[in-house]
Amino acid sequence: MNPMDKLPLISLLLVMFPLSALFIWRARNSCQIRRIALITVILELLVSLIILLGFDARVPGFQWVETHAWIPSIPIFYRVGVDGLSVWFLPLNALLFLGTILSSWNRVTTMPRLYYTLLLLLKTVTYGIFSALDTILFFFFWELALIPVYFLVSLWGVGPHRRYAAVQYTLLMIASGIPMLMAFVLLAVDHAHLVHGQGLTFSLPDLLATPASKPFQTLLFFLLLASLAPKLPMVPLHVWLPTMAREGPVVVLAIMTGLKLGAYAILRFLIPLAPLAMREYHWLLTGLGTAGLLYGAFLALSQTNLLTLLAYASISHVGLVLLGLAAMNLSGLQGAIFQLINFSLITSGLFFLTGFIQHRTQSTEAVNLGGLARRMPMLTALYLLLGLASMGIPGTSGFPAEFLLLMGILDAHTGVGLAALATMILGAGYFLNLFRKCFFGPALSETDGILEDLTKRELGVVLTLASVVILLGIFPHLLLDQLSATAASWLQHIQTNQP
Amino acid sequence: MVDHSAWLAIFLPWGAALTLAGERLFHPVWHEAKEKTVGKISFAATLGALLVLLLLDVKAVLFGPSGALHSGEWFGAGTYTVPLGLMLDGLGLSLATLMAWISLLTIRFSIPYMHRESGFLRFFMILNLFIGAMQLIVLAGNALLVFVGWELAGVSSFLLIGYAFERNTATKNANRALITNRFGDAGFLFGIFAAFTWCGGVDWRQIARAAPQVETMGATLVGLGFLCAALAKSGQIPFSSWIARAMDGPTPSSAIFYGSLMVHAGVILTLRLEPMLQQTPSLLTAIAAIGFVTALYGWITAQGQSDVKSSLIFATISQIGLMFLWCGLGWFTLAAWHLGLHASFRAWQFLHAPSLMDDLDRPAPPAPRWLTRWQRLHTALLQRFWLEHLGDAMIVAPTMKLAADMRLLEHRAITPLAGLPAHANAISTLAQWQEQQTGAIPASGYAVDRSTGVAGKMIQGLASILYSFEENMILKGGGAGLMEVLQLVGKRLILIDHLLSQPRYLILMIALTFVIIL
Repeated sequence: MNPMDKLPLISLLLVMFPLSALFIWRARNSCQIRRIALITVILELLVSLIILLGFDARVPGFQWVETHAWIPSIPIFYRVGVDGLSVWFLPLNALLFLGTILSSWNRVTTMPRLYYTLLLLLKTVTYGIFSALDTILFFFFWELALIPVYFLVSLWGVGPHRRYAAVQYTLLMIASGIPMLMAFVLLAVDHAHLVHGQGLTFSLPDLLATPASKPFQTLLFFLLLASLAPKLPMVPLHVWLPTMAREGPVVVLAIMTGLKLGAYAILRFLIPLAPLAMREYHWLLTGLGTAGLLYGAFLALSQTNLLTLLAYASISHVGLVLLGLAAMNLSGLQGAIFQLINFSLITSGLFFLTGFIQHRTQSTEAVNLGGLARRMPMLTALYLLLGLASMGIPGTSGFPAEFLLLMGILDAHTGVGLAALATMILGAGYFLNLFRKCFFGPALSETDGILEDLTKRELGVVLTLASVVILLGIFPHLLLDQLSATAASWLQHIQTNQP
Repeated sequence: MVDHSAWLAIFLPWGAALTLAGERLFHPVWHEAKEKTVGKISFAATLGALLVLLLLDVKAVLFGPSGALHSGEWFGAGTYTVPLGLMLDGLGLSLATLMAWISLLTIRFSIPYMHRESGFLRFFMILNLFIGAMQLIVLAGNALLVFVGWELAGVSSFLLIGYAFERNTATKNANRALITNRFGDAGFLFGIFAAFTWCGGVDWRQIARAAPQVETMGATLVGLGFLCAALAKSGQIPFSSWIARAMDGPTPSSAIFYGSLMVHAGVILTLRLEPMLQQTPSLLTAIAAIGFVTALYGWITAQGQSDVKSSLIFATISQIGLMFLWCGLGWFTLAAWHLGLHASFRAWQFLHAPSLMDDLDRPAPPAPRWLTRWQRLHTALLQRFWLEHLGDAMIVAPTMKLAADMRLLEHRAITPLAGLPAHANAISTLAQWQEQQTGAIPASGYAVDRSTGVAGKMIQGLASILYSFEENMILKGGGAGLMEVLQLVGKRLILIDHLLSQPRYLILMIALTFVIIL
């Protein structure tokens, strides 16, 4: 047990928001505002790195746990903590927001106060999602995320239909929140029946310790699946993602598509809370995963826009991760978590780069680009590096993740594994095809004068992500060591659970 | 301890590649004086690798080859763990030395050849990456490390084919090469999975040890996976078309990649798999058949090519076909010898290709006389027997068609059902505009407050029902409408009650209840 465990570091991450928001609203000019935002995120990156370093990987179970009464009469607790599955997401979150703030540094000129406040709010909320150990607290953060997203997309989006996209996204997410709340409330009531004399409880560790009866687990499984499917996104509820990718502000999308919150919620809540149902219906997740995997890949193949390509590719990636979770073996699970972290780095890096292109050319369509490589060699090289990482080329973090995932999937369902192998070929196809159209070939005359290579700040943002990608590619055990104990106990919980 | 220095043969070139990348990143301004430094770094790295290998060779000759070397574990989860190990046996060491030697010569050749090229640094960076990867393929002690080298060699080949990235044909060919190779990679990964499942690991020694006990099905699957990779990388039928396109790169890279080193990777993999392949006569027959057909194909196609590099590459393919034939016939040692000799000879020939014209002092030789008499055959040779078109028609076209169908499905069915704005409505290309005019994509035009999609329409329906209720029942006459309806319902209920009190309906009700319960 590490001695620092008692320090309320996770709460520190959460309470930094009101403080920094206060400073931001008292700041005099936009320069000060973004400096405050930057300092906040850097501090948080440090704090989350301390959490990661202080994390004892040998012990499965939650660490850095803090419990305080929140609404005692119901009883809902403020309960946060991390385990091996979630601890890496905290520094990752800080890193992505650092990238977002630096990428929008002097490019957001309208209402910078509100922009940075919303950005910091979104960041705090995602911290909450990754660390909440109380179902209602999780739900609170889950729904709270809609507010910053709605305003960020509808006010700072780039597409002509940004308002529409924002409204539809918000409606869809609110609607899908209902089954989640229902599931959590029913679970608490059921738990009260199961364990006499304890009353209602929303605490995740308690709920995990006493699994519900099988029919109830089935109900829970489907309620949670219904509520998480749009967020993942699962085919056919994925339509909001390409729309958002086209309409929303690119640097914010880097976070929304980068952090795969839906997949995390499946890993954290859906499967562990309904282990019996999972054992019975894992074929359903496998089917949905395969559908997403192939559908996303095929649609990505026919895209002509860098942003929608990334959106569909991300649907395909989520399908692969879902398959790894449904495989229910150690390599599939570790590969899936590794892949989540890997895709966060890669997808957001690619989104940032696309944003830089859009800032220069006002377009992300292949017809308006073309021949970027000559003018922007550094941007092209980094784009290619991250793209190759998404294809799982060795030397990047994509390789160990994809390898473990594929082995796990082939082991569990060989037929589906073959489909995943085929998607490997499609993945090379869709990325390289559009990459060639946009970056290679003779330079277009209309873009000739306005193109300049990455500035130092931009280079810093992407280079940081790229170096983490390469670091994890060469030393994958840095991450896998943190995971393995928790993953093993997670899997044991699923496989040996009896009501 | 000396054995561990073998890692240097891999990491010295990679270190050089990294150094060059760092140089490009931190000192982006290029001037010609840098060419010397770049050349020196690359040369020194490969020379170092060669010296280390020679040292190990001397040791192997004096004390016998040290065999496998285990230096820890790379990563793993569950039953799938990847050891870090090298295979310093006769085959590995001799081939590695030969390859380091050829690489060194190629670097020496490239320094003046690439002089004043705009991508001088890029070329050497990729070349170094490739040399390290190739060493890894030859020296690696397990299939997964071979795969690492395999992929990196593939990527560097992609980068060099597309070296002149402003020419569309070059980049198209590069994409084609990498994507074709991905077929092989998928096979490779499947082979690795099969090796884990049936042999319990991917270490070459482990596979060899397990081979006699593995059932035929397992051995066939392992062999099939790796074989698919080997055929793709070595440009054998049916994967041969990419390799002729790969000639787009600068000549030294063609020499090292397709003349002498990378094309042989498939044969090397087959040699490593020898113990497993011995268990599956059917696979050996298939290898022999493919090798034979490719050898014939390469020979006859080479007769009709109109440029030097193409005829050389087809000659290469046919030689490699022969190597596969030897493997298939069980003569693995002959294949290894053939490989070494062919690699050395072909490297010289490819590097010589640019000056061939000067030496001969006459234009490229015309097609042989007998060939001109067979017009159709000549055409077939020039078209390389339409292998590529066949691949296009059988794989690429259906895939793209499927992708287009999926896109239509997305726009026509799923997007309207979900009621979200069709993102493709934002027209950005003329082609899309035309599609919209012909009705392939629905036209744009939507408002925030308009209900769309299944959910939206359902809510709209519910809202209109509630509205008519409100309108007709409650608002009309201060609730008089509701009263009227309620009175009507009340009268009906009284009637039903009256009917139910009569025995025949009561019995009917009870019978109905029973039917439902049972």
